[in-house]
Amino acid sequence: MSVEADLLSFIETELAPSEPLDRDTDLLLTGLVDSLGVMRIVEWIERSQGIEVHPADVILENFRTVGAMADYVGRRRVSSG
Amino acid sequence: MRGLNHLLDADRIDPGAPAVGDGDRSVDYAQLADRAGRLSAALVDAGVGPGDRVGIHLRKSVESMVAVHAVLRAGAVYVPLDRAAPTDYVAGLMRDCGVAVAVSDASPGQLAELSTQTPLGVVVGPDAAGPGPRVVPWTAVAGYEPAPAVEVATDDPAYVIYTSGSTGRPKGIVHTHGSGLAYARLAAATYGLRPDDRMANVAPLHFDQSTFEVLAGPLAGSFVLVIPDPVLRFPASVTELIERERVTIWYSVPYLLLQLLRRGVLDQRDLSSLRWVLFGGEVFPPGLLAELMEQLPHARFSNVYGPAEVNQCTYYHLDEPPPADEPVPVGRAWDDTELVVVDDDDHPVGAGCEGELLVRSTTVMSGYWGQPEATEAAFRTLAGAASDGARWYATGDLVAERPDGDLVFLGRADHQVKVRGHRVELEAVESAMQELDGVSEAAAVVRGTEAIVALVVADGSLDADAVLASLRERLPSYAVPAQIVEVPRLPRTATAKIDRERTRELLVDRS
Repeated sequence: MSVEADLLSFIETELAPSEPLDRDTDLLLTGLVDSLGVMRIVEWIERSQGIEVHPADVILENFRTVGAMADYVGRRRVSSG
Repeated sequence: MRGLNHLLDADRIDPGAPAVGDGDRSVDYAQLADRAGRLSAALVDAGVGPGDRVGIHLRKSVESMVAVHAVLRAGAVYVPLDRAAPTDYVAGLMRDCGVAVAVSDASPGQLAELSTQTPLGVVVGPDAAGPGPRVVPWTAVAGYEPAPAVEVATDDPAYVIYTSGSTGRPKGIVHTHGSGLAYARLAAATYGLRPDDRMANVAPLHFDQSTFEVLAGPLAGSFVLVIPDPVLRFPASVTELIERERVTIWYSVPYLLLQLLRRGVLDQRDLSSLRWVLFGGEVFPPGLLAELMEQLPHARFSNVYGPAEVNQCTYYHLDEPPPADEPVPVGRAWDDTELVVVDDDDHPVGAGCEGELLVRSTTVMSGYWGQPEATEAAFRTLAGAASDGARWYATGDLVAERPDGDLVFLGRADHQVKVRGHRVELEAVESAMQELDGVSEAAAVVRGTEAIVALVVADGSLDADAVLASLRERLPSYAVPAQIVEVPRLPRTATAKIDRERTRELLVDRS
């Protein structure tokens, strides 16, 4: 599966959104993801994708949507590989 | 100026000075006054008269600042409602103080639900009309001519901020134009607020810390940077915003400052614009405060103390990192404020002795909305030398005076605790739990300053997930326990009260 599909399934399982979401759903405006949720997603990315997420990268732009998170993971893979 | 209704008047502030922004866009004081004036006219047209309560149910934004000043300008009373709270909880507050008109950005579905449970009849905000309340869209508000300020008296109510009550019924703290303006003036004077200051608004409107920026900001003609809630979840984004917007004043609970220290990549940011960092609402662990102060050497720090009922009453400025092994004092009274520390019989205690802190000040609330008995219980008159019939607000906080005159906070006289800076009365959490199916008895304790843990004696089999789901519908998120632990019986004291000390020990043993 793609990173995007994995992320969607992780968020759907772990954070139990009340409405269906896709790659462009704003996770922050809906209140679905709070600061603890952000940390859980960061941990999941580090564990399952085998990359280190720098604290400076944990910013709104990289985590607003599942699409933004997948793009970030893609960029990190290129820069470290 | 006698009231908060005139805060945006053009003869006070340079109309071209920046007034409020959110990092993406900003408006100057002329635009803020213009927009508040138009919304004020729309509210009056919707039937809002002096003293009427108007709900502000908005995400923190430029619009929420506009809404506060529109309501004050109309001589009405603003009631901030937590945009993230469950519908039933918000509806309870709206019924309590009779909110018939609100400014909201909630979904048409939620507004329809609110209007069936409350007197809500008109909502300013959503563009699409749904079933439920009559909707006045922002585009229609722009068509009104700005209304002049409606005159008010000093003791007319200006805003109602809700806090949790020990029986589970929230109490609406009523501040008047007089107490709100007195607070804004003292805050502006104590921290030397200037027109070139750029204040970060961190607290949501329903948290009383927000009045520092929302009221004292315009009083001083300073710029207020509203930090949107999504940004607050990313400490590295917050510090980036502070740097980019050259914020000079920050005020928040210690919890958020600790987030900046841990995850805000302070070593990669230039935050030298900060001249004041204010914290309050809970105790700042002194070792971590010292660490933060070393990271922000340009800023002066100040411990802000005062229950929402009095706005603020003491300050303690720090120029040097504090010693790691003593609590940071709450300090001493600011101007126009008297403090007395009393024993159980309301007799003043000597310096150095522990007692409850009582306050009298121009910044004290007028009372709790619609709850004369709770208001009565919150105030005391003293016998003896200090007796002149004056009302003292009893904080419920235990303090002692140090030899240098600064007060130190020692704890609560009751079971109110702070969770991430929010006041929670543990009895309120317990009584909400006891109403649920499957729960026979419940005890709540706070773990650190960040979460509540509940012990439950089950009535039959316990479905902890179902209990938590029900609580999420009844309580604000910060009051919902992070964990539920099933126990055969609760530790109780000789008088059958929950023994919180032993409850906490029980949890430590289990972890």
